[in-house]
Amino acid sequence: MSIIFEPVQLGPLRLKNRIIRSSLAGRFDNYDGSGTDVRLNWDVRFARGGVAAIISSNAPVHRRGRLVPGFALIDRDDRIPFFRELAKRVHEHDCRYIVQLNHAGRHRGIGDLEFPVGVSSTDRSEPIHGFPCERLSVAGIKELVDAFAQGARRAREAGLDGVEIAGGNGVLVTQFLSSAVNDRKDDYGGSLENRARFPLEIVRAIRAEVGADFYLGFKISIEERMNEVFPWLRRGNTVGESVQVCRWLEQAGVDAIHVTAGAAFPHPRNPPGMMPVRDFMRSYDTMLSSGSRTLRNYVVFRTWPLSRLFQWQWERPTKRLGIEGINLPESRAVKAAVGIPVLCGGGFQTASVIAGVIESGACDAVTIARSLLANPDLPQLFAQGLDRPPKPCTYCNKCLANFLENPLGCYEESRFASRDEMIRQILSVYRGDPLPAETA
Amino acid sequence: MSEARGNGRPAAATIFEPLAFRNLTVPNRLFRSSISGRFDNYDGSGTQLRIDWDVKFARGGVGTIISSNSPVHPRGLIVPNYAHLDDDDKIPFWRELGERVREHGSAYIPQIAFSGRQRDIGGIQYEKGLSSTDKPDPLHGFECERITVPQIAEIVDAFAQAARRVREAGLDGVEIHGCNGYLITQFLSPAINDRDDEYGGSLENRARFPLEVVRAVRAAVGDDFHLQFKISAVDDHRAVFPWLKEGTTLEDSIQVCRWLEEAGVDAFHVSAGSLFPHPRNPAGSFPIADAIRSYDTMLSSGKYTFRNYLMFRTPPLNRVLKRRWERASRDGVEGINLPLARAIKQAVSVPVICAGGFQTASVIAAAIEDGSVDAVSMGRPLIANPDLPNLFAQGLDRAPRPCTYCNKCLVNFVENPLGCYEESRYDSREQMVRQILSVFEGAPLPSEVQ
Repeated sequence: MSIIFEPVQLGPLRLKNRIIRSSLAGRFDNYDGSGTDVRLNWDVRFARGGVAAIISSNAPVHRRGRLVPGFALIDRDDRIPFFRELAKRVHEHDCRYIVQLNHAGRHRGIGDLEFPVGVSSTDRSEPIHGFPCERLSVAGIKELVDAFAQGARRAREAGLDGVEIAGGNGVLVTQFLSSAVNDRKDDYGGSLENRARFPLEIVRAIRAEVGADFYLGFKISIEERMNEVFPWLRRGNTVGESVQVCRWLEQAGVDAIHVTAGAAFPHPRNPPGMMPVRDFMRSYDTMLSSGSRTLRNYVVFRTWPLSRLFQWQWERPTKRLGIEGINLPESRAVKAAVGIPVLCGGGFQTASVIAGVIESGACDAVTIARSLLANPDLPQLFAQGLDRPPKPCTYCNKCLANFLENPLGCYEESRFASRDEMIRQILSVYRGDPLPAETA
Repeated sequence: MSEARGNGRPAAATIFEPLAFRNLTVPNRLFRSSISGRFDNYDGSGTQLRIDWDVKFARGGVGTIISSNSPVHPRGLIVPNYAHLDDDDKIPFWRELGERVREHGSAYIPQIAFSGRQRDIGGIQYEKGLSSTDKPDPLHGFECERITVPQIAEIVDAFAQAARRVREAGLDGVEIHGCNGYLITQFLSPAINDRDDEYGGSLENRARFPLEVVRAVRAAVGDDFHLQFKISAVDDHRAVFPWLKEGTTLEDSIQVCRWLEEAGVDAFHVSAGSLFPHPRNPAGSFPIADAIRSYDTMLSSGKYTFRNYLMFRTPPLNRVLKRRWERASRDGVEGINLPLARAIKQAVSVPVICAGGFQTASVIAAAIEDGSVDAVSMGRPLIANPDLPNLFAQGLDRAPRPCTYCNKCLVNFVENPLGCYEESRYDSREQMVRQILSVFEGAPLPSEVQ
């Protein structure tokens, strides 16, 4: 049998196979951060499809830490019953559930009513969209460290199987780690050691709160490569610095490192693939009031040949390197430096590729988002002996471009017999959780 | 306390008199107009949030609740996340909603609707709306296809089936959304309808579609079920852009109402305007700063939206637009449609309900007593004060913090939860946010969260 279906131990957590659903969801919850049945339907769909574990979509530990409204929060004890129900429903399918604890910092696609302005390590607005922010005080940092610890405690009380700290992709932890963002002069900025202080404090606080026998993962952008978004931006952290951070994280009590890329979201390497400018234009309009540079971006999306140039620049790295396994070099570097398991994301959807990278020691398990969105039953297909699903993910990124305004689902019409079939698949999340094969 | 009134009769005595329609008696003269946020699922299935939203007003004492627009077909949605009435599988939700509202003594009347070309956000299912014409709307540039005669028959049947579902759900009546620029207006209005078949041209032809809808609904629900029709008494199509055609006049609307009454309508609900929003509906301010924050979501919906967005952002263009918009209500907002409602009331023999900024007990009572109208409907003033009817019953003439007609609720609803966004009505911004988000906590009344 393929190594894909060999169990793996992540610290205290045993997984039945090597496929984990990465954090992925639409704006399925209530504006106030309370969870809904739609979110249950969404996550249960992947549990039924056979993944060993699900990492929740980003769950803010504080209301001010929302990326966009419409995602379930884990900021108060009265959220616990919802997550308990979610755990119960996912466990029914022999699948583990890991909550991704997040604070978006300044990286908020849509600000909310309560907090129009985000917080960050800096007071400079985010360079791509121009999201405004206030600089966190040391007291504010301590509060957020505690908010992460309380989020983890709630996850444990809800009967979930672990937590993952969102530390990559441009969220608040990245804003501290990143040399391209963090401009502090105090204990939390400057040297790598100082920039890593905030995440390490979070890890220790969580460990102190939940004990040693509860899974604690850390997701980190090993290469930040901000210059791949716009060439005039500073590059940010590179593999040498990030590997050192991973060593410190391991010492502080992290059970696994989850490798991703880019100090912004989205980024040409995450999710790697195409830049569907037309779809983005239809959805990005929602963000115009969120930042000082959004109107510029929107005009670029609307204006040929600027849109084409942006698209070309965006797609350059993946055209050069390929998509499936694009983060493997970074994963290998981390794996060589730490003793804990490494999870790697980035376009995986071919059984032989996944088995190969695990056997080669590049990582211990893979995390998948878009390819599972296209084929929620991908693990079952692998178990049946298929190397690839009949209609694989095309990495078109239309799912990403649509999620702000429309229900998350696969928007690649070429994968469906008709547009109607595509719509039916997208809307099926509201009616329980039939797999695409059951609705087609 | 209550205004001094010439006749010595308390306003509440008039307002809280039951109103008997042919097939339905409602407990008082106050209707909650169709108003709601994007509280349901994207696929048109209803949620607990919608129930909590509507129950809030029932608890506040309003006699009748008209649902927010309920599409009879998915292509007829105005914006996603409103509960549909397009399928029998929606009936249990509506039954539950009706039961919960009636626990508080209010009647519940769904408004059945089809957007046509006027869709704030069209959703993923149908790229273009359907209209009497194939020309985009002049304000936002929403694109559409011209509806064919067989498609008209399908939509007529969809209205009838939706009305049947309303009856099967045990609700109290049904309102046909025939105004504010949506599909029925798009047929009625000579400024929009450019057909040369039997559904366009003469007034009789333009009224053919709504009359077919009324007859089909009547046939589906039987003669003993309440059926009301909401109509824009005037189009005032040039209110925003003076170079457009004028549209439907009051005289035309009166004739249409006579025909509709003959076809089986039990009551008229009078509004105004051939677009939504329109300077006359909801009448009041044009809140530019809030519009900029929310209208961005609609940029991909129409051909002229980006132009509008840039106009909102650009002084002095935005000031010019604001001034032009607010001209329509320069003589006051409350009762802006009363002269229109009075004219229709004189021409028909069924009761007339009037919309338009009502929130003063003495004004409402006077309008009923002088025979202008039989009842009033309220949208924004009830968002501001869901317990306004209870306040009237206690003898207050106005709420201590009345609606300011700022229309910030209107412009926020596309992106944010519906609620009162007029910060000046609250002690603090936090209090305002708490009130807006209270709908997610089972909708306590503002007095209970403050």
